[in-house]
Amino acid sequence: MIFETTVEKLIKAIENTERVTARNASLPILSTILILVSGNSMKVRATNLSLGVEFELSVKAESDGVIAVDGKTLASFLNTLPKNEKIKLSLSGATLTLVSGKNRTSIKTHPYEDFPTLPSVAGVEVRIPKNEFVRGIKSTAFAAATSDIKPEISSVYLTTENNTLFFVATDSFRLAEKKEVLKKPVVFPAIIIPYKNVVEIARILEESSDDVTLRVTENQIAVVAPGIYATSRVISGSFPDYKQIIPKEFTTEVVVLKQDLLNTIKAANIFSDKFNQITFSVDPSLKKFDCVSKNTDVGEYSGQIEAALSGDDVSIALNQRYLMECLALIPQDSITLGFNGGNRAVVIRGVSDTSFTYLLMPMNR
Amino acid sequence: MDTKELWNHCLVEIEAEVSKANFGTWFKETSLVKEDGGTVYVGVPNEFVKDWLSNKFHKLIMRVLRNGWEHTRNVEYIVVKSDQKQGKTEVLTHIKQDFSLNAELPLKDLYINKDDNLNPRYTFDTFVVGPFNELAYAATQAAVARPGRQYNPLFIYGSTGLGKTHLIQSVGNAIKEKHPEKKVFYITQEKFTVDYINSVSANRGAGNAFKEKYRKYDAIIIDDVQMVGKAEKTQDELFHLFNSFYENNKQIVFSSDKHPNFIPGLEDRMRSRFAQGMIVDITEPDYESRLAILKAKVQDSGIHLPDELVEYIASSINGNVRELEGCLNSIVLQTQMKGRFPTILEVKNLLKNSIKQKKTASVKEVVKTISDFYSIEEASIYEKTRRKEIVKVRQIVMYILREDFNVSYPLIGQKLGGKDHTTVIHSCLKIKNDMKNDMSIAQEIDQIRALFK
Repeated sequence: MIFETTVEKLIKAIENTERVTARNASLPILSTILILVSGNSMKVRATNLSLGVEFELSVKAESDGVIAVDGKTLASFLNTLPKNEKIKLSLSGATLTLVSGKNRTSIKTHPYEDFPTLPSVAGVEVRIPKNEFVRGIKSTAFAAATSDIKPEISSVYLTTENNTLFFVATDSFRLAEKKEVLKKPVVFPAIIIPYKNVVEIARILEESSDDVTLRVTENQIAVVAPGIYATSRVISGSFPDYKQIIPKEFTTEVVVLKQDLLNTIKAANIFSDKFNQITFSVDPSLKKFDCVSKNTDVGEYSGQIEAALSGDDVSIALNQRYLMECLALIPQDSITLGFNGGNRAVVIRGVSDTSFTYLLMPMNR
Repeated sequence: MDTKELWNHCLVEIEAEVSKANFGTWFKETSLVKEDGGTVYVGVPNEFVKDWLSNKFHKLIMRVLRNGWEHTRNVEYIVVKSDQKQGKTEVLTHIKQDFSLNAELPLKDLYINKDDNLNPRYTFDTFVVGPFNELAYAATQAAVARPGRQYNPLFIYGSTGLGKTHLIQSVGNAIKEKHPEKKVFYITQEKFTVDYINSVSANRGAGNAFKEKYRKYDAIIIDDVQMVGKAEKTQDELFHLFNSFYENNKQIVFSSDKHPNFIPGLEDRMRSRFAQGMIVDITEPDYESRLAILKAKVQDSGIHLPDELVEYIASSINGNVRELEGCLNSIVLQTQMKGRFPTILEVKNLLKNSIKQKKTASVKEVVKTISDFYSIEEASIYEKTRRKEIVKVRQIVMYILREDFNVSYPLIGQKLGGKDHTTVIHSCLKIKNDMKNDMSIAQEIDQIRALFK
């Protein structure tokens, strides 16, 4: 196997696949990347048996071949090379030799026969615009539970209704829902994808410009875009019935400039306790929207935020981190906060945007 | 053909042929699902494994299957969702729906009202009244009807898990509902103490802020007030708070696990103030009350347990309502997981640990505990003396030994200095009668019994 390409092209494919390789796997082949060259096309593949990805790019090949090489070693080495250089890879025996500019290195390869194949998914096939798909994932995946104890909530729930695609994630303290309206209706069975996999898929698709094709079965999902194939397992089990807990009405509503709120939260955070607790109090009759935080070791903060207020008085303690995470994802300049008393969830949305809903439970004081 | 055994046999063979890492990665979670006309279906955990087994290990699997069962014609691989592990997670998700989002979020909602610390779940509607708590219930009703006028302070005591907190929180919630203008505040003694300490350490000389904070309320409910015995300064603070409430005819409700007379470290001025209103106790529920409580809880849980099960629980657990609830919860959980009601036998096993073991204590220990309680010499119990105070204690010892520890009359007599068994019988009867006529004896015996728990 001998082929030539540019460092820039190669590094993108290798970095993206390397992230998928299994860490500390008992089977060493799972920490390698498989490189297949045939004709003038090169495929790069990696899998951790939960998620598998494959990139295809065109290269100038002198001869075909297959190798499996340690992903981390290859990626770290490529990163040291100047991006615009050409690079030539050749296999002799069990050693892969890379020559680029004045650098020359050889890396030991693994027997490629042991490298697993990626499941080809034959199921319901739908085409959806890539931007909507990636945005849906990015707006929600952060809210998923990070522990593996409840696999169905350390995931993103993907479901359809007419021509709306729903993305939902929750860790049971907060919940993020993003609706993406498509031009035409799509139908596929609701699925639960592990959040780690779905975040990786979104990252891989970032550079792609075309629509993506989803193929869904009850066990597996495949995401296909030009030059990209990614497939992930799907969690069995059912996602909590979340719709009924999103309140429709509020006793108190606040409309505030996002930047104002962000600045205040940042300041309050310096003085928040180890649980990141900050307290908001809303008093529409006095037109006051205050934010207070207190840390016995550091000091206290209290700030007032300009806002349009309506409804009843309310005082509520929130986790600053949970609040920050959602504000970063709202593109609008101003946001609305909907309260139903100090013990019920707050609903946060961008002004005049119903596509994104963030539900946040208060902290017990 | 025993598919399980066949597959285990095959796995052993496969393990010998492939590397340990390979075996662990690809074969560990496989199973043999079924066999149909010579085709063997192998269950695999996901598509990755399915793909790889059929691509790479198909021949090997075929060979070992043929060795184990010669009729094998073909092998198919299917992703199994309902194998043991998956089955569990499915059940869990089912329960979790109840416990996490559907329940957890709203639960947090309900948790505590921050303005008054009251838990809205505790109301009189959910409080089961029986002979064991009807007096306490009546007293609280009076307090709700005319807060601060009739029974002030209201002091409720009883051992743990009998519903004191429920009752006094209900008082708070009811006062709030009936007299919306009144501000109620619920606090545990422990929090009160901590609050006081904080106010002292946070800034000296601002004791007034602490006083102001509590005095603005129209009714205060203090839970587990027996804790105050340990904290002198807090006791002072509570004393002043009490006086200001009392003078202004504001309702005060206390709960404690002991009668004020037996709260260690309590100053006399506090004790007499506690006694100045109404002191009522909650005793352990009788069988009928336990049954009523259980039935109410069963209804709440939304599951209809057969009556015989509920009756069994009520009869096997006595005393603590909290334990009763715990047992019921574990049975409800079992029912949800298994999708059917447990049998009496299963319930018996389940409750094995909850049912209190018969109390055991040596005669010597009992004598020591009781004589300590009355602070008399242990030896005097065994002596042949007819001093009145000793006789009474000795009779109580006999009564407790007989009633609580099932010691025979002759043995009791023998152990307590060679008394005749008829003397013992007389003593027991006498105490039994005294208890009916003299509340103080009954109370003392309750206290003593608490010492043996």
